[in-house]
Amino acid sequence: MKYLRLIFRNVVRNRRRTILTVLSITMSLFLISTLKTLLDELESPPLTPESAKRLYTRHKVSLGVMMPIAYREKIRSVPGVADITTYQWFGGVYKDPANFFAQFAVDADRLFELYPEYKIDDPAHIQDFIKERTAALAGVKLAKKYGWQLGDRITLKGTFTTFDVETTIRGFVDGAGAENTYFFHYDYFNELGNNAGQIGTFSIKAKSADDIPAVADAIDSIFANSTAPTKTESEKAFFLSFVSMYGNVRLLVTSISTVVLFTIILVAANTMAMSIRERTGEIAILKTLGFTPGQVLGMTIAESLIIALAGGLLGSVGARLAYSRIDFNELSQGFVAQFVVRWETIMMAVGISIVVAFASTLLPAWGASRLSIAEAIRRRGE
Amino acid sequence: MIPIKYNLRSLVVRRVGTMMTIGGVALTVGIFVSILAMVNGLENTYIQSGEPLNLILLRKGSQAETNSYYDRSIKGIVETMNGVQAVSGEIVIIMNHPRVTGESANLIVRGISDQTFALRPKIKIVEGRMLRTGLREVLASRSVSNRFKDSRVGDSIHIGRTDWKVVGIFDASGTSYDSEIWGDYGDVAQEFDRPIYSSLLVRCADESSLKEVQQKVVDDRRLQMDAPREMEYFESQIGTAAPMKVLGYLVGIIMAIGSCFAVMNTMYAATAYRTREIATLRVLGFRRRNILLSFMLESLLLALIGGAVGCLIALPMNGMSTGTANFITFSEIVFQFRVTPRLMLTGLIFSAVMGTLGGLLPARLAARIPIVRALRTEV
Repeated sequence: MKYLRLIFRNVVRNRRRTILTVLSITMSLFLISTLKTLLDELESPPLTPESAKRLYTRHKVSLGVMMPIAYREKIRSVPGVADITTYQWFGGVYKDPANFFAQFAVDADRLFELYPEYKIDDPAHIQDFIKERTAALAGVKLAKKYGWQLGDRITLKGTFTTFDVETTIRGFVDGAGAENTYFFHYDYFNELGNNAGQIGTFSIKAKSADDIPAVADAIDSIFANSTAPTKTESEKAFFLSFVSMYGNVRLLVTSISTVVLFTIILVAANTMAMSIRERTGEIAILKTLGFTPGQVLGMTIAESLIIALAGGLLGSVGARLAYSRIDFNELSQGFVAQFVVRWETIMMAVGISIVVAFASTLLPAWGASRLSIAEAIRRRGE
Repeated sequence: MIPIKYNLRSLVVRRVGTMMTIGGVALTVGIFVSILAMVNGLENTYIQSGEPLNLILLRKGSQAETNSYYDRSIKGIVETMNGVQAVSGEIVIIMNHPRVTGESANLIVRGISDQTFALRPKIKIVEGRMLRTGLREVLASRSVSNRFKDSRVGDSIHIGRTDWKVVGIFDASGTSYDSEIWGDYGDVAQEFDRPIYSSLLVRCADESSLKEVQQKVVDDRRLQMDAPREMEYFESQIGTAAPMKVLGYLVGIIMAIGSCFAVMNTMYAATAYRTREIATLRVLGFRRRNILLSFMLESLLLALIGGAVGCLIALPMNGMSTGTANFITFSEIVFQFRVTPRLMLTGLIFSAVMGTLGGLLPARLAARIPIVRALRTEV
């Protein structure tokens, strides 16, 4: 500890070099933190006590194949099922295909039972929505984006259906992704489709989160030998199946991060090599004064640690601060609900900094600490 | 002008520092080129797909084959139009199927007709044989066969409610069709109980008749169809590469800034070590701008070598196969990394920018060194 002052002096003696190295490490760890956060947000979306109780049932073949609506009542009577609603993806076009947002046809009277985390602008609007066949609820962010008012008539042109859906906004919803979603009645959807009674997805609420695997098995076994077998998954698994569609994001992120890590080590090692080379003479003098090779090595590593940690913290904490000012929800239109650099990511950045400090210093410092005094003084100025 | 040899030798003298800096730039360029090679490969898949004289008929407003379906009687109407040479009525189903790595993805199962291969001359069967109708036999593309379970010749694959036999592997030469499994139209339609067409692929005699047919289909109010060219249809899906592109540029730019600082560091050190040399050069009659240029060149050289090494690092990625989601068809699209000469040039330019920006300030400093004081300094 008594050498702290000396170490610190060494850090700041070539201020320009230190700053450039710190900045270089900052950029790299900013990038690593960003990628790690992307992976975190994609792979572990925030789980609430409510979402932990939900399951989704779809046709076993894929989401693109539909099931008979009669399944709804059969599933409702499965032990452990508390409630169920249709959750039909519509994917209609609002004015222009570029205006893309999630639209679901649901059982209007069940929606808030299944999703208590959705907040309505006015409790009376829930009844307004339920009572009217063509009523709709719009996410507050969508309403803001498209300038929708209460009572506006919105037409969604069908993509996989031959009909268009004409709805009237009777309320606004917010929270847990609802802010970017548009809800209307499944009954109305079904009626437009000549009461074909087809449904893509059910959202189910289990009585308790512990029941989920049993409930899923129970549902799937009912329909296993029917013409439309099903696949039931927890909400988390259901969403992760969308993420896995992107391909191997984890491999991509891991490989990029590894390359970035090597780059930082190279950059830091270069800096340390330069500063140690400059100081060969000094190191010889330190040793003449009685410093052991271990002490010299320790001081050099400490110096490198300060630089690497400064960069690591600036990069990761900087990323946390920078991203807290950007509304990713809006930017990605609800695809990424939030983008928060977690504290564990910052801890990871600190860990990486320590590794970088050691990896970058050991080789040049080892050489320097082993150099004999006479040799070192002779080398001075080379 | 100060000979380039001077810079080269200087780089060799400080070889450890030079190598580390080159390494940093190389990794930056390598990762940038690799991600762009991925984007390039994906975009290329869409561009390569489709024959110039083919139209694809989809239900109006459906945007993708996977959303489209219509009555089979429409095929007869289209076949009798003037200028139409052949029509292939097909059905597509999205099937969730496990990859060899375990997690599953959506695959397109296409029910094909006797015209399917004729209208897509790029596609060849490379292993096994053609499927026979009515026997629940399927062909898998080479890429699907490598990436998904139960899809090698001789395997039995579960589609819908029954097991189908894989009898052949086709190679769609890097087109979008490389991500599909093909069965007989009748078998697939029956399996999923969907007696419809998802799309009609229409071959026209020539360019003018193609335009005529296109007009006729769109104008016919009975049909309610969109009729893009097959090529345009696939090109319209190119937007699915956008998230990857954003990632590529994000990673590239952030790392480039970091590497710029590293180059700057090295060049500042080079300036500091060579203060006396620079002063000597000045005494010999070289001007400030010669010094500036010389140091800029050195920095550029350093970065360009790094860039070249980076391109070489990325080169083995070429041809590597991977897949991502096409959110328009809601299914997996398989593609190959493509490291093209043009992309490598982009990588070199990218490294040159790093070298120039990183070298600018140190070179300016070098050019401004006061001669007398510099000659007196003891390094």
